[in-house]
Amino acid sequence: MNVIEINQLTKYYGKHRGIENVSFSVDRGEIFGFIGPNGAGKSTTIRALLSLIHPTSGSATIFGKDCIKYGSEIRRDIGYLPSEVFYYEHMKVREVLNYSASFYDNVDYRRIESLSEVMDLDLNKRIDDLSYGNKKKVGIVQGLLHEPRLIILDEPTGGLDPLMQQKFFDLIRAENQNGATVLFSSHILSEVQKLCGRVAIIKDGTIVRVENIRDMQKHNYKKFTLDYKGIIDVHHFNLEGITNLTVNENTLHFLFKGDINRIVERLQGQNLFNLLVEEPTLEEIFMHYYQKEDQP
Amino acid sequence: MNVFKKEMKANLKSLIIWCCAQVFIIFAGMMKYQGFADSEVDINALFDAFPKEIMVVFGIGSVDISRVAGYYSVFFLYFMLLAAVHAVMFGAVVVSKEERDHCADFVYTKPIRRFQVISPKLLAGVVNILLFNMVTFAASVFFIAQHNKGDGLIDKVSLTMLALFILQLFFLALGAMFGAILKNTKRATAVASGLVMGFFILSVVVDLYDKLAFLAILTPFKYFEGSTMMINDQLSFNSAAILLSVTLVFFGLTFVAFNRRDLST
Repeated sequence: MNVIEINQLTKYYGKHRGIENVSFSVDRGEIFGFIGPNGAGKSTTIRALLSLIHPTSGSATIFGKDCIKYGSEIRRDIGYLPSEVFYYEHMKVREVLNYSASFYDNVDYRRIESLSEVMDLDLNKRIDDLSYGNKKKVGIVQGLLHEPRLIILDEPTGGLDPLMQQKFFDLIRAENQNGATVLFSSHILSEVQKLCGRVAIIKDGTIVRVENIRDMQKHNYKKFTLDYKGIIDVHHFNLEGITNLTVNENTLHFLFKGDINRIVERLQGQNLFNLLVEEPTLEEIFMHYYQKEDQP
Repeated sequence: MNVFKKEMKANLKSLIIWCCAQVFIIFAGMMKYQGFADSEVDINALFDAFPKEIMVVFGIGSVDISRVAGYYSVFFLYFMLLAAVHAVMFGAVVVSKEERDHCADFVYTKPIRRFQVISPKLLAGVVNILLFNMVTFAASVFFIAQHNKGDGLIDKVSLTMLALFILQLFFLALGAMFGAILKNTKRATAVASGLVMGFFILSVVVDLYDKLAFLAILTPFKYFEGSTMMINDQLSFNSAAILLSVTLVFFGLTFVAFNRRDLST
């Protein structure tokens, strides 16, 4: 069963494009990545799912129910961490969290304590005394305290130090193992890589592709690094399937997708110092998706 | 209930400040009355010497201000202004403050509908203006009694406060509507307070130029006159009915507009 199903979702702010015909679905129990550069439409999509904004056209369902029509009902089971965390500044952390909890039925208030302990968050501090990272922690506890079935994270790791990021990922994995579905939006690929099974890539308001992370990494691209002894003939590698070709003094880098034998053929007779064939990082694959169409 | 409580708490300090200001104005104003009464000067004759325009701007029309009821009725203009600014600001801010403070994502992703957030907020507004009104009432009766041989004119002041409350409701709804329709709090408070000033200026203009009397219907400040309530014990039913109806429409528009709104981060 699909927990989230987005169908041709479009949002225009006046004439300004938000998102266009976004469609994808998230299965129950998966951790689904949602990646794209800033301004691509990740937050717009998420805000439409939460009925904070009204889509221009298209629709989305969560738990099989229309997002706008049954918004309040659906949100009972959603935990949301906004990309920019702001809370009532004059309140204490504990007050904000209790206030948050007061909107849900049957909240286990001990969870506030235990989650805060894991995230190393001081409940007695005032919100306006907190650093950005600590506010983020408040957001995390606030998003998880009612044991949601669907967790929506919009750029969740900004401001968290690596140790906290690790704890946070562990927390999300644990929630996931307990049955929660996760939609994880980010522009940092390494974190999506760590956590997610599938990923939707959004660029300029439209979904470029939905892919299995493993397929994306393993079966598609190889990263080549060639160290030359002499002069590099770039035209030699004018071959279909080669992308992101860069020359740096005596070193040639490129990504290749296709029959590996084509490359081996081309390597014959080349005067090489060294040759490296690697799995590309997601970043590198990603750059490829992001290259503007108008580039040669 | 949690939203209501939170709003009451958030506005407590400002309510106390507003009430203190109001009490001080009444206290200081009635002190002046004592000054007039003691000096044994014919106040009415003194004021007759002033140009009509000045008297109108200060709200001193044709009432006999040598009597305490008449003197007090002049205050109504200031009550209206102060209460209108308080109510209109409350309405404009309370509806849009989450977006101003960037925490709309917090409340509006909770499992409640938007009207379930707006209703308790507006209820908090009604309670706030009611408290402001009651403080005005208590201070008025107390200070009038000091200068009127212990008679606080409770009946007359009650009637005046009822009119004041209707005006407060109107301005709360007006502010809330702007808060829901306009892009942000800043714009809402600017437009709303500008409108209050506009209404006030119009009410002065209407007093100054008899030919423009028909414009009185456009400014809520001309719907009730302090002197008719304090001296003739009368409250215009039509005025009350019109203001309350418009208030209801404004509240309705607030809900509709807010429901359609795209909330900003």
